[in-house]
Amino acid sequence: MKKFLRFALLASAVVALAALAAGCGSKKKSSSGSTTTNSSSSSGGGGVVGSGSFSSGSPAKGGTYTVGWEASFGFTDNFDPTGEYLGNAWGLYSNLMLRPLVGYKHQPGAAGNETVGDLATEAPKPTDNGLTYTYKLRSGVKFGPPVNRAVTSKDVAYAMNRLANPKDGGQYSFYYTVIKGWDAVANGKATTVSGISTPDNSTIVFHLTKPAGDFNLRMSMPATAPIPSEVGKCFEGKPGDYGRDVVSSGPYMLQGADKVKATCPMKAMSGYDGANGNHIILVRNPAYDQSTDPYRKNYINTFKFVVNSNADDIFAKVQSGAYQDEVSSPAPKTIRQYATNSSLKPRMIPNVGDRTNYLSMNLTQAPFDDIHVRKAMNWIVDKNALQKAWGGPIPGSIATHIVPPVLFNNGLAEYDPYATPNEAGDLAKAQAEMKQSKYDPGKTGKCTASACKGVLTIADTRGVDTRMVPILEADAAKIGIKLTVRAINGAYPTIQTPAKNIPLAERPSWGKDYADPYTFFAELFASGTIIKSGNTNYALVGITPEIAKKVGATGNLNNVPTVDPQINACSVKLSEERTSCWENVDRKLMTSVVPWVPYLWPNNVFIIAPNVTHWNYDQFTDGPAYSSVSVK
Amino acid sequence: MAFYIARRLVWTLVVVACVVAITFAVFYLLPAGDPALRFAGKNPTDAELAQIHHRLGLDQPFYEQFGRFTWHFFTGDRYGWPGLGYTYASGSSVKSLIIARAPRTLLLIMGAAIIWLVLGVGIGVLSAVRRRSATDRLSMGFALFGISTPVFWLGLMALYIFWRRLGWTGGSGYVSPTDSLTGFFSHMITPWIVLALLYAAFYARMTRNNLLETLGEDYIRTARAKGLPERTVIFKHGLRASLTPIVTMFGLDIALLVGGAVITESVFNLQGLGYLAINDALQQDLPVVLGVVLVASVAVAIANLVVDILYAFIDPRVRYA
Repeated sequence: MKKFLRFALLASAVVALAALAAGCGSKKKSSSGSTTTNSSSSSGGGGVVGSGSFSSGSPAKGGTYTVGWEASFGFTDNFDPTGEYLGNAWGLYSNLMLRPLVGYKHQPGAAGNETVGDLATEAPKPTDNGLTYTYKLRSGVKFGPPVNRAVTSKDVAYAMNRLANPKDGGQYSFYYTVIKGWDAVANGKATTVSGISTPDNSTIVFHLTKPAGDFNLRMSMPATAPIPSEVGKCFEGKPGDYGRDVVSSGPYMLQGADKVKATCPMKAMSGYDGANGNHIILVRNPAYDQSTDPYRKNYINTFKFVVNSNADDIFAKVQSGAYQDEVSSPAPKTIRQYATNSSLKPRMIPNVGDRTNYLSMNLTQAPFDDIHVRKAMNWIVDKNALQKAWGGPIPGSIATHIVPPVLFNNGLAEYDPYATPNEAGDLAKAQAEMKQSKYDPGKTGKCTASACKGVLTIADTRGVDTRMVPILEADAAKIGIKLTVRAINGAYPTIQTPAKNIPLAERPSWGKDYADPYTFFAELFASGTIIKSGNTNYALVGITPEIAKKVGATGNLNNVPTVDPQINACSVKLSEERTSCWENVDRKLMTSVVPWVPYLWPNNVFIIAPNVTHWNYDQFTDGPAYSSVSVK
Repeated sequence: MAFYIARRLVWTLVVVACVVAITFAVFYLLPAGDPALRFAGKNPTDAELAQIHHRLGLDQPFYEQFGRFTWHFFTGDRYGWPGLGYTYASGSSVKSLIIARAPRTLLLIMGAAIIWLVLGVGIGVLSAVRRRSATDRLSMGFALFGISTPVFWLGLMALYIFWRRLGWTGGSGYVSPTDSLTGFFSHMITPWIVLALLYAAFYARMTRNNLLETLGEDYIRTARAKGLPERTVIFKHGLRASLTPIVTMFGLDIALLVGGAVITESVFNLQGLGYLAINDALQQDLPVVLGVVLVASVAVAIANLVVDILYAFIDPRVRYA
């Protein structure tokens, strides 16, 4: 009867929700205790936000760490490390499950992008004029169940061969084509990469065809982590299927790994519910030896990653302590709530995301085939207003050039070739630039040519896009460019097709794969990356008539600037010389090519629960350093 | 009657085939992009894309893909019968995915349907027999509130008040009744009520109007003149006659919700069939969308059939040859 009364009361009370809702004030208890929130700051105009950490007392072992994952896992290869390209999946691999030869300290800021030995004893220096890399494996590193044996160099070679074989679904094998014999496997002419040798169980040697100064960084990617062949053979030629049976070499494993046998066909481990599923559960790997691992702390007993279709619910659960963390995007109202409440504020941690948001101008399409128009756009765009459209300085700092400074080890932090007062645009400078353009024959400071009327602009349909578009339209109009905006739900397929000849794209955003500017410049500006569909060089930097014919692009192909020689030159350099070289490419792009209007270096904002006692950002994975978190 | 049912079943198959063909055509002829790009990484080569197309069967013409899908549906595939194929994203069986998600949706619909039927018809009858009274006005006020309040708002507010503030309910998420019966009820009661409110409002208005119309008929006057008790007049003669359109609506509403309770499923993180379809449509995972569309269209067609058959029992004037 009591139950009935409660339900009846519930039913009638729901009817009266509207009236009640208006009067509901917050009575949430604030978290107590002494807390510290630290930031290793990076630059950028319009408000500085760094990569952070949170600490409230000394971390203790134990507990469950539940992470609400918005909408769906969104895996690109069903969690199979050979092909998985989702950054959030890399966070799980790198912190919890896999040990590639090279790893990171799982720290925020530039320090978190420094490489260290993980499975290998160190990140080695190359020999043989940069053509040979020799890695020595740590002793005592073991695969977890169901394999339960020591990891050897042959397991790394096996993973590399799997990555080279296109039938196994590798999605970033292009980073390894510098290894001798790689292409032979990729083309089906060989089964093993000849440039990889394993003289003994604890040594692996890579022979390259040309120097690659960032080779150690490439060997930090999850696809290069060891895979035991006795399990891997069950999944050869079946891209993605290994994702449900990933064998751990790190501190945690998929729940149920100890309940399956390493014989083909393998049953799926219960901790993995599939790409369309709703959970991943990781538990401690009994074969893991903490003494082999100086960089992972591993306080938590169990990690639960659960899909939740309701972003508001995710943050409500984080606030209540039902979840500890989230893989979601806090809405402006949530950010506002945390930013304005002193007890909540320490639990909202913005972190530099190694990513750039930008407007891309197609170098072959009028009026952007004229560098003066592109420069005028850089002068006129009100980046401050665009930052506000994103929610202010917490969601991101204003970008002043191509690559976020943290990837230059905080170099170019002050570089701003189009600096304007308050980053709000400068009409006089924009008009001065426009006067030099062929599209302003009368030197009026405005584009008067017909090419500037109805300039097709592709935008997306997210809330932030609808806030950005009016700002861009108004800014462009100040220099005589009338934009015709087409908003498309999911704009990328359109702007990634060169044959569509899109002059201006509002949507683009790019993040690093690993901590080297190569992963920006080579993929966004090298002419060799211009392809028919899925193209990421939206501006078509370096396009030639031959490439244009191949991809179906038409437009002004005369003297399109290129940075291919600079990219090739920098990619073989090492250390500071390399960084300095990339900085020069950034400068050249911003001043002599001008394919973009970079406007935001977005932050990754994380909100953590009241019972989290330690949290820090992992700069490599651009997410929580799960290996360092703790709860009370 | 048997001939009628057989004929309707044949037409049901035709309708389902048409719906699936249209869905297939929409994804094939009006794609938002190449699904293979999702699995190709950055800057894929033509050869890599061709390999993924081949793996996903996207390198075949539309009619072949559709033919293969239809063939597998009737004859079964490696996951058994009916063959609904495998998801692009995980390579797992669409059928098992639907089987895993369907109970969530069906239990949501069942619970909500009971509430809205009892609440809607009850309020409608009350409102009709006490026409123009305060009860009538209050009832219709409730109906107006239910119809005009968006489910997502009501859902969020209900979660906020009954879960977060009062702690009466279990909050969002799905708890299987086999795991915990109390957990199941505690998590489902709010989505049931929220989903039911919208429909209860419709049903209340419809029941009131139908009943008022029926109560004005000559045979009702005759029944009263014969001295039948008012309760018998209303429930036996009035309500029964006015139920026909309600039954039609009820059948179709339940069927439509099989794939259409997406907002409630999203707000309450139930992750049923509707949410599965929307999420996979956004990710261009055609086999999953087709599977859900197939299930939903079969549900609508069968519900139509059941409603038509029920007519004969509810309304003696209806007879099928």
